[in-house]
Amino acid sequence: MNSKPKIGVYVCHCGINISKTVDVDELTAYAANRPYVRVARNYSYMCSDPGQLLIREDIKKHGLNRIVVASCSPRMHELTFRKTLAEAGLNPYYLEMANIREHCSWVHKGKKEATAKAKKLVSAALAKVRYLEPLYEKEVTVEPATLIIGAGIAGIQAALDIANAGFKVYLVEKTPSVGGRMSQLDKTFPTLDCSACILTPKMVDVASHPNIVLMAYSQVENISGYVGNFQVQVRKKARFVSVDKCTGCGNCAEECRLAGRIPSEFNMGIGNRSAIYLPFPQAVPAKYTIDPAECLFLTRGKCGKSPKCVEACPAGAIDFEQKDEIVEFKAGTIIVATGFDVFDAARKPEYGYSDYDNVLTGLEMERLISSSGPTGGKIVLGKGDGEYVPKDIAFIKCVGSRDKSTGNEYCSRVCCMYTAKLAHLVKDKIPEANVRIYYMDVRAFGKGFEEFYDRVRREGVRYIRGNPSEIFKRNGKLVIKVEDTLTSRPLEDEVDMVVLGVGLEPRKDAREIIDLLRLSQSTDGFYLEAHPKLAPVDTATEGVFLAGCSQGPKDIPDTVAQAKGAASSALVLLASGKVKVQAQISQVNEKTCRGCGYCIEICPYTAIDLVTVNKMGHQVSVAQVNEALCKGCGACSAGCLSGSIQQRSFRDNQILPQIAALGGKS
Amino acid sequence: MSENFEPNVVAFLCNWCSYAGADLAGTSRTEYPPNLNVIRVMCSGRVNPMFVVNALQQGADGILISGCHPGDCHYMEGNFFARRRFALMKELLDFVGVDQRRFNMSWVSASEGAKWKDVVGKVVHSLKEAGPFEEFPRNKIDW
Amino acid sequence: MIDLEKLRDLARETISRDDVKYLIGWKPGTHGFRISPHFVSNPEETAELIFSPLCSNNLATYLTLTEKRPVPRGEQPDTRKVALMVKGCDSRAVLQQLTEQGITKDSVYVIGCPCEGVIDIKKVEGKYPGILDQVEARWENGKISLYLPSGKVEMARDDIVAEKCLTCRYPNPVIADVSLREEVEVKGNNTFDDVKKMEAKSTQEKWAFWQGKFNSCIRCYACRNVCPMCYCEECILDKTNPTWIQRSVNISENTSFQLARAFHLAGRCVECGECERVCPVNIPLSHLNRKLVKEVMDKFGFEPGVDPEAKPLLVGYRPNDKEDFIL
Repeated sequence: MNSKPKIGVYVCHCGINISKTVDVDELTAYAANRPYVRVARNYSYMCSDPGQLLIREDIKKHGLNRIVVASCSPRMHELTFRKTLAEAGLNPYYLEMANIREHCSWVHKGKKEATAKAKKLVSAALAKVRYLEPLYEKEVTVEPATLIIGAGIAGIQAALDIANAGFKVYLVEKTPSVGGRMSQLDKTFPTLDCSACILTPKMVDVASHPNIVLMAYSQVENISGYVGNFQVQVRKKARFVSVDKCTGCGNCAEECRLAGRIPSEFNMGIGNRSAIYLPFPQAVPAKYTIDPAECLFLTRGKCGKSPKCVEACPAGAIDFEQKDEIVEFKAGTIIVATGFDVFDAARKPEYGYSDYDNVLTGLEMERLISSSGPTGGKIVLGKGDGEYVPKDIAFIKCVGSRDKSTGNEYCSRVCCMYTAKLAHLVKDKIPEANVRIYYMDVRAFGKGFEEFYDRVRREGVRYIRGNPSEIFKRNGKLVIKVEDTLTSRPLEDEVDMVVLGVGLEPRKDAREIIDLLRLSQSTDGFYLEAHPKLAPVDTATEGVFLAGCSQGPKDIPDTVAQAKGAASSALVLLASGKVKVQAQISQVNEKTCRGCGYCIEICPYTAIDLVTVNKMGHQVSVAQVNEALCKGCGACSAGCLSGSIQQRSFRDNQILPQIAALGGKS
Repeated sequence: MSENFEPNVVAFLCNWCSYAGADLAGTSRTEYPPNLNVIRVMCSGRVNPMFVVNALQQGADGILISGCHPGDCHYMEGNFFARRRFALMKELLDFVGVDQRRFNMSWVSASEGAKWKDVVGKVVHSLKEAGPFEEFPRNKIDW
Repeated sequence: MIDLEKLRDLARETISRDDVKYLIGWKPGTHGFRISPHFVSNPEETAELIFSPLCSNNLATYLTLTEKRPVPRGEQPDTRKVALMVKGCDSRAVLQQLTEQGITKDSVYVIGCPCEGVIDIKKVEGKYPGILDQVEARWENGKISLYLPSGKVEMARDDIVAEKCLTCRYPNPVIADVSLREEVEVKGNNTFDDVKKMEAKSTQEKWAFWQGKFNSCIRCYACRNVCPMCYCEECILDKTNPTWIQRSVNISENTSFQLARAFHLAGRCVECGECERVCPVNIPLSHLNRKLVKEVMDKFGFEPGVDPEAKPLLVGYRPNDKEDFIL
């Protein structure tokens, strides 16, 4: 294999793009004189079929084993010319390109200078191509199963698509039921579909689909491996209720000593539940769960004389001895669909969220309006005798969004529409209500959105342009201090209730997934996609995809579309059953490696491990590259003090000749 | 320092950002001096600080290393390592008396064709002032 | 005051341990102020061990140059510990080797020797040349006493110690399994005055200074051999594929060599000063290395060889590392 290099040099005219400024004949003559060059030609369009044919024929005729193409940027046609080499039976990695167009003929005017520079660039390419080595793209098999983390609408949709395609899905959900944020909504904009009505059929599907293994109330603890071969470890948390025996009758929750005393997470804290609970009536799986942080028996060891739930359960399903279960399985691809948290309105203290009971967030308002909520869908404030129906209701948009002071500069995308929807529902339930929405902009961009916004205004909801500065109480009413920017008048509007249009934020536990999967975050804290335009569901980690609001705020139609996109991307890998592994990856010279671990720490993809080998009778550590994980960045090679780990195609002994060629005075 | 001195600059550009940015400068037909010769690497993290010493020894008058903006590295962290390594190499070179203008580093993203032109202009201009680097280069034997 | 009996008792005890294969300490050298490393394999040999202001050798360099002879078939390599006597600066080298996984904790037994400063042999041989009999030296009353054949001479510490001792912040070993004596007072600080003085010179002055020094370099590699941090099995600068640096001894290659070594020590140099001590042509190597010691401290707040939990400097980064030098 180490025969003398026989180099073929091909200078492209690119029409007149190159030849107008670079003297291609002089360049070709120069190249022809360089060491080891057998053939040097120039041609009008090297990337065209006849151009490529020139190369292929020369390879056969002259036994060329290295090719230099001096033409456009390798980012344009490196793949093209690699295929040309492969078609001629030469390893495609014996190619080196000299960029004499984007970096030369297109940016320099003088023919003399441009040609001199082109000569330098070609000599550098010649210097490197001599030392290139044949590389082979390996293939690894893809396990025909997908792990989906999060079972909101995004996770559910992706799971159904993949399962329907015939592949196995492991759907892991942290909370006791699937459904996510969409199950907390009452009606959805702009169609006013009942959220639960359109969601629950999919929830049931996902629980009963033969290809879906649903693990609710479970958490992913560890993921190792690489695309096609992920090793996943999931902890199925103990519900302390036997899932086989529980019928979901609910007697236990009624009898629980703590009934109505624990703030319900599902109801965003404005309603209560028992220590043994079902998050919401349509929960799937419809199995009760005991909260280990609140249950008297679990925290104190005793619950009165005996736990009431045990007495009340006709199926004998309560099991305080139940333990967490760890399950392990393999997955070929992973979809992250972990969703969002809402902005904590307490971080805008000027709005009085922490001080006044009648200042609510949009999601709390959803629960209030929802017929499965704490008030059965009645919009009422206060308790018992003090209960009243608010008449003057205000919505404030952009709370915690587009706001440097809270650290969220981005727009949350859904608040304009959900405040319009909530305003409509308020008018629906309280026709005489006086509803106002304070806004900076109205973004009604989607299908049917503008029409809905129009309708809501025609129903009498007043839109006032101004960002309120403060909310305070005066004579029992909430006063909103705001400037109406369209009339330039300061206002002090008195209302009974304020709903804050809180924005969407990354989940507080977002870090867990980042640590599991080495994901990145964009500046707004949501998970980073591989490319904002062309790869919105991919991540930097191959085989790991994003769906839904974990990647950025979006509404239900966009979430479902993205979930389908993520499923499709996952299916590309699952259906082909194998995935090609990068060839220009790192390699360790075990003879000189001393196992210091520098490369292991540096590698952004944890693609290098320390293994023990036998060096002349001694057990020593050396580094070893996981070829499926290495992405070929080369940071390891630059950090290695002994030069033992090298990136193929960008080795020190391939780059140093380039430096030598370019360094000399021309 | 003769009027006709044209500095020879060896530049290391990362494939995903700076090389693409330089390509964009080309596609947009911007014009800049021809003194820079580019070596393509996949990531600025690949650039071994010793490449700088080697390039100067091979006869380059100046060096430029250009990568993605911090946080945008295609490989997530490569440019952070580059930043740390070259912060130190720059100080070492300065300490032994290598003109500070000979070592340059920049962040140029794939959409910053205009910035690339600026960077090249700045580097070439300051090197023209610094003059040729004649005292370090290895004696080349011209076969 | 060093109690030599205590030292030798401790050594005897250590070498008699089952898990120690040999002990490395210091003994009087061939003549005058010279000191030899002493490899002790049995209790009898401990009689020659000393610890005095003359013990400038950093013995930590031997930990990584441990024998890696091919092990004959059927035999197991001897994985017992090496017992090592270390001063403060030496112990930093040991700790740095541990953090960069050059050695493992269970391969070394550290005998910590708090040190009040070691003599700069060039200074003292300049003052008292031509002494053939072995000389003794002691730390006494905050000064250093030389027991020459002509009689005892007391010298002020700062007059006679190596430059590294003037700025020493770690006279007491930072890692030790057992200690020879109580801790001593820290006498140095790190204001890096020496480095700042050079930084203040003009570019041309600096170049002229260092080129003058590098011109003397004979590429004997004594600095690399003695350095506790230089222990790659095949030094990258010795490679021919690729050839980073040619083997010819001229100013261009010498400069590259010196720059490469200094850079490879970034975040690793523990300022033990051995390189400068052993250089036969008096290149101020420690001065060169301290420039990066200062930069690493200033820019990254990092000091190698003091924190056992620390990761090596160049395997990490901070999102807010300074980038004022970047266009």
